[in-house]
Formats: sequence, structure tokens, C-alpha cells
Amino acid sequence: MAFFLQNAWLIPFWPLLASALITLTPVRRMAMVSAWLATGLMMIATVMALGLLAAVANGWALHDGQLVQLAVHHGEHGAFAFPEPNVVQRFVWAPTGETALQMGIYIDGAAAAMLAMVTIASTCIHLFSIGYMAAHPRQSRFFSFIALFTAAMLLMSMADNLLLFFMAWEVMGLCSYLLIGFLYERPSAARAAVKAFITTRVGDVLLLLGIVYLYAQAGGISFGQDEHGIFFPPLLERLARETGVLGLSHAAGIALLLFAGTVGKSAQFPLHVWLPDAMEGPTPVSALIHAATMVAAGVFLVVRTFPIFTADPTSLGVVAFIGAFTALFAATIAVAQFDIKRILAYSTLSQLGFMVAALGVGGWVAAMFHLITHAFFKALLFLGSGSIIHAMEQQPSIRQIHHYDEYAAQQTAQDIRNMGGLRTRLPWTFWTYTAGYLALAGIVPFAGFWSKDEILLDAFKHNIAVYVTLSVAAFLTAVYMTRQWWLVFFGEYRGAQPVVFVNPDAPVSEHGHHRDHHHDDHHEHGEHWHEDPRMIAPLVILASFALTAGLLNLPFDLPFGHWLATLWGQEAAKLDPLVAGLSLIIALAGIAVGWYGYRQAFTSATDTDPLAARAPGLFTLLNAKYYIDELYAATLGQLTASLAAAWSLLDRAVIDRLIDGIGRFTFGLGKVNFIIDDTLLNDGPDGLASGTQGSGRQVRRLQTGKAQDYLIYVFGGLLSLAMFWLYVIGR
Amino acid sequence: MLNAVPLPAVLTLAAALFCIGLFGALSRRNLIGVLMGVELMLNAVNINLVAFWRYFEARYITGQTFAIFIIAVAAAEAAVGLAMVIAVYRHYVTVQADEIDRLRG
Repeated sequence: MAFFLQNAWLIPFWPLLASALITLTPVRRMAMVSAWLATGLMMIATVMALGLLAAVANGWALHDGQLVQLAVHHGEHGAFAFPEPNVVQRFVWAPTGETALQMGIYIDGAAAAMLAMVTIASTCIHLFSIGYMAAHPRQSRFFSFIALFTAAMLLMSMADNLLLFFMAWEVMGLCSYLLIGFLYERPSAARAAVKAFITTRVGDVLLLLGIVYLYAQAGGISFGQDEHGIFFPPLLERLARETGVLGLSHAAGIALLLFAGTVGKSAQFPLHVWLPDAMEGPTPVSALIHAATMVAAGVFLVVRTFPIFTADPTSLGVVAFIGAFTALFAATIAVAQFDIKRILAYSTLSQLGFMVAALGVGGWVAAMFHLITHAFFKALLFLGSGSIIHAMEQQPSIRQIHHYDEYAAQQTAQDIRNMGGLRTRLPWTFWTYTAGYLALAGIVPFAGFWSKDEILLDAFKHNIAVYVTLSVAAFLTAVYMTRQWWLVFFGEYRGAQPVVFVNPDAPVSEHGHHRDHHHDDHHEHGEHWHEDPRMIAPLVILASFALTAGLLNLPFDLPFGHWLATLWGQEAAKLDPLVAGLSLIIALAGIAVGWYGYRQAFTSATDTDPLAARAPGLFTLLNAKYYIDELYAATLGQLTASLAAAWSLLDRAVIDRLIDGIGRFTFGLGKVNFIIDDTLLNDGPDGLASGTQGSGRQVRRLQTGKAQDYLIYVFGGLLSLAMFWLYVIGR
Repeated sequence: MLNAVPLPAVLTLAAALFCIGLFGALSRRNLIGVLMGVELMLNAVNINLVAFWRYFEARYITGQTFAIFIIAVAAAEAAVGLAMVIAVYRHYVTVQADEIDRLRG
């Protein structure tokens, strides 16, 4: 036990080592070696994280290097209780005057649970990627990036201060950017990467401001409840009492700035636009970064700094509002999408909204619980969609498109209208996907039911408006997931005559030509369905978690009930039959509506969506994502573009002229200088030089080269010296 | 005895000898002749040294010492000079001083 506590810092070290080895050594030229190296080191990290979780769960802690048993405590009634950390290891990083900035690790129950979740999910996704990325020429680079990402995520989970937290957070942002743009040959992927980077940057800058604000007020940024920590109760009390900017207390100001980081990273409204576009990255990336871990980092930030939020309830109100709004807003968009990954992306937005809303109503345990269960079942759903897309891409109709436009082929393969009947064709994927679907829809006893129910219970107790909003979102979740599940796996296979994605970046003239050409190719025919065992194994592992992760925090007083709440030292939630029953009824109603609406829809891929037939305006609005992207392009984008145009004009009219004028002035000065130089300075030295040359030419005649002539000079000189002496000096 | 030959007579002899040597060193075309002229000039100096010693400072043997040193150095110089003449001859196939003007500027 002491081993795992002592060496907790090694957990992020393993993936970092994998990334360094792949990047810096010749391993990068061996694709399979690098893949298995990254996966193997990830497994070591997983074992260590699970060992750490076991040690923490048993109440072991390190105090000054000594193993001690912490007292189990169950939290106060109805309030967040700050849990005592199990491991705090710090070293002085940067002495700043009288104080010293410290770096280190800080592990409590929440960090241990995050570490275990991240390592398990990451290992599954590494394993999946070995099969999924096998054919890709840049496989080594891919593994290097996801290993680096995992290292940063693990470091962030165990960071002991907000600065280290922020650094790891930014490394994750970088990896996200690199991996969204991994298929950089596609213009859309490059655009999506830049969009994600810039959009999250808005939140990150505000987060950094929040950290600076906190540092200025508290004189430190280390976690902890002692007098040096930022959760020192008298400090929080002072922050909540004193008024800062805009009539907000310091605590509310700091909390809202920190929350801006969450809004960016966890893609909450209004900074949600990057996440759906981030699906341009390879599917394992979508599963790891944009579903399970990185986007949950924003929630984890609030979880970590929760005492600051509770210090002033104003900030919690904002958190609850943004979360609930995003949950509903994203769920409505997901109803009208056709891209299998985009539906899951909007679902992720919606579920993150659930977690944020849970934090907003004070449901700390519920948010963390949902974070963990969601990571498992959403990673499962994304990997399942990856398996489906991988299989779809092997179909003859898609391969034909692939000949002339690889991107259009992939987008066509992701369109749920082109699927159908995959239940029998991809049985493993079907069953595991179904587990993820039922978990997300919130059907008992799958993981999502328990965690979502706990969120709804907290909302029900504290804020009925949030409860209603989240219930509607939960209903829509069941609807859109049923729609997707039904269209993908049931009915007839429609992919033989697919709706072909029109690639806006592809040159149109070549399009037709190539298509005609390859229509005549008859060397590929017949469907061929295949499930890679390396991709199935992670699906099965994650499906088992989707089924059983609810056991981690069952709301019953069983021996293993309330496990997570106990781990985190919080008050355990009791099952409320009314709320649980209602949420189950809502989920079942959603499934029924979804099934009823889509049971006979799409006999061929080109059919109209039933919702589009009923309410075309609404469907178009939802399908276009409420035109938020267009709104941003028309406002912020236009603003930036016109600012840039204005600058360009200023540049040309003022600065360019100024520079030109200076240039011309200098040129004129140079001319004057040239004349002075030429007449005065050049001719003088020139004369001197030619004089020297001429006299040299005369003097050289003395140099006859004959020894006797020199002797004559010597005696001549001697004689003249003698004469001088005799007649001038000696007289 | 001492005044049988007065000092000016001896100095005149030495001056004459020096001038003959100087003339030879400057005018002879043969390098060996030049060397011989140089030897004459050295010996004229020797006569001067011995004469001044004999007529002014007979108690100390300074002048003789210098004369002996000069004779030794002159012998060494003659040996080196003749060796150089031979080397020059081997290189230019001549010992005519005015034909050897490689140092001309």
C-alpha cells in the first residue's frame, strides 16, 4: 500500500515515457512496436492507479512519509465536506521573494478515482487504436500524442496547485489540437483543430486571469485547507465578504473566471462550438479526449475548486444555469443530426451540461459519479461508432467514393442514413453499443441510470427549474439515442445506395470524371463485414463498466453501497423512489417516442427524416445547430475580419507610407553623403595613396639587389653620421 | 723605441689599409675579392686597436684582447663567407657580385 502512495507520481510518468521514447528514439519508425510500447506502459500506469485507488479507498495516507490510517468520515448533512488528502508531496519550484511557489502532487479520493478512470479508459482506447490505426502511415505519431495527452491528464488530476493544473490543462489542449488535426491533409480537419484551439483559448485566458486573481487575493494557489492552502476557511470567508469588481465578491469573481475555463474546456454554451467539429480527429481521439477525459477536465476543475464556488452562491447559480441550458440545448441539436459521431458529440455536450448543472446545485458527488460513469459509456459508444465506421469504410459503395475523395468517403461512412441492419452484421459491436446506449438513456441497472438519477435528485432537492430542464434533456437523450441505435442497427442495410457527402473542399471538375471512371471498376463487389478482435476487446471491457459502474455508488445502505461517497468523504445520497421512478419513466418514454417515430423511417438512405416531414422548419433549425456557427461567423468572425481589414488599410495607408517616406528620406541623405564622400573623402585618401605609390616607385630604384651598393649606402650613412658628429655635435 | 715610430704614422697606415680594403670590398666584382677586402678592413681596425693600446693604456691589455677576438671572429667570418660563396656559386653558377641581384625591388 505504501508503495502505491509513495510512487503515485510515477503514474503520469509512464505515458510520458512512452511519448518520449516514441518521439525521440528510432522506435518511431516501427509502428507496431510504438503502439504496443505505449499500450504496455499505459497498462503499468493502470495497475499503479488501481493500487493507489485501493490504498486510498482503505483510508491509508502518507503523513511525513509515514503510513497512517485516516478516520472515515461521512460528511456533514447537506453540505460539501472538504476531504482530507491522502498524499501531498511538494517541492520548492520557484522562490518568489519571501514565499516560494511549490509544485507537487495532491491525492485525495477524487484524484484517485480520476486517475483510475483515466488510466482504464486510456488503456482501452490505446488497445482499440492498435486495430483502428493499423493501416495509417503516421501510427507512431498518433500513439506518441495520445500517450502525451494521457500523461497530461493524469498530471492534471493529481496536481497540487492551480498553476501545475493549468500547465497540464494546456498540454492537453495542445494534444487535442494536434490530434483533431491529425489527418491534416484534410482542410476541414485543419480548420477544426484551429477552431478548437482558439475557442478553448478564450476560456483558458479567463481561467488564467482567475488564477492570477486568486493568487493576488490569497497569496498562494496550492490546494489544501491549511493556512497556506486556498481553501483555508478564514480566507474563503474573507473572499466572500469583500467586494471586488462589478459588485461581485472576490470569491464569486474568482469562481466565475475559473468557471470560464470550464466553459471552454468542457464545451459549455456559448463556447461549445468546437467540440462537434473536433470529431474530425480519428475516432479513438474522439473517444479518449473529446468524450471521456479532456472535456471532463473542466468539470474536474470545478470539483477541485469547489470550496471557492460554495463560498459565494452567486457563482453556483451561474454554473447551474449554464449547465442546465447546455444539457437541453445540445440534446435538441442531437435529435436532428445524421453524422453518428456528431450525435455522440452533442450528447457529450449535453451530458457535460448535466455534470456542470449538478455542481451548480451542489451535487459534488453526483457530478463526479456521472463524470466517471459517463467516461466509460461514452468512450464505449465512440469506440463502437469507430468500429461501425471502420466496417462501413470497407463496403464497396464507400470504397468507390474513397477512390476519388477519401474525406467524402469517411463522411459518407459516418452517416446513419447509410447504415441500417448492422445488428446481424456486426454482432459484437451491436451488443456492446446497446450497453452504452442503455447506460446513456438511463435505464436501470446500467451505470448512467444511477449517476443521472443522483444528479436529478440533487436538482430536485435544490432547484426545481434545473430539475425540469434536465428531465427534458434526459427525455431527449433517450429519443436521439433510440433514433441513432434504431437507424444504425435495425431495418435494412441502406449503404448500397448511400447519400454521398459532398466535400466542399474537393475540386468539382475532377469529381465527375473520377466517379465515372470507377463506376466501371468491377474488381470489388459484395459486402464484406469484419470486426477486428483488437477493437472488440476494449468494447467488451468498457461495456462491462457501462453495465456495472453504477455499483460504485449505489444509493442503498448495502455493504458496498455509497462506495464513492465514502471514498470522497461525503454524505451519501439516499434513493428517492419518486425521482428515480420519474427518471426511469422519462427514459422509457423517450425510448418509446424514438422507437415509434423511427420504427419505419428510412427504407432507403435518401428518405426524409420523420421529424423533418412533420416540422421542417424546426428540423432545419436543429440540423443547422441553431445557426450558432453562422452567428459567430457573422459577428465575431466578421468583427475579426473587418478589424483585420481595417488594420490592413491602416497598414497600407499610414505605416507603409511612413516606411516608404523614411526610405526615400534615407535615400536622399545617402545621395548627399555620396557627393561629399566622393569629392572630399575619396579624393584625399586617393591622392595620398597614389603619392605613396609614386614615391615607392622612385624609392624602389635604390633597391638594386647588389650587395656592394648596400655597402656603399652603409658607408655613405656612416660618413654622413660622422660628419654630423664632427661638425654639428662635436664642435 | 717607443717614439721611433710616432702614433700618427701608425694610424695613417691603418687608415690606408682600411681604405684599400673598403675599395676592394666595394669595387671587386668577384665575391672572393670582396671577402679579401673585408679582411683587410678588419686588420686595419686591429692595427688601430693595438696602436691606441700601446700609446695610451699600456698597463692594461685591453687592446690586444680585442684584437685577438677580432682575429678569431674574422676567421669564423671567412669560413662562413667562403662557404656562402661556394653555395652561391652552386646556385647561380657565378661568383660575380653584380650578377647576383635577386633582392632588387
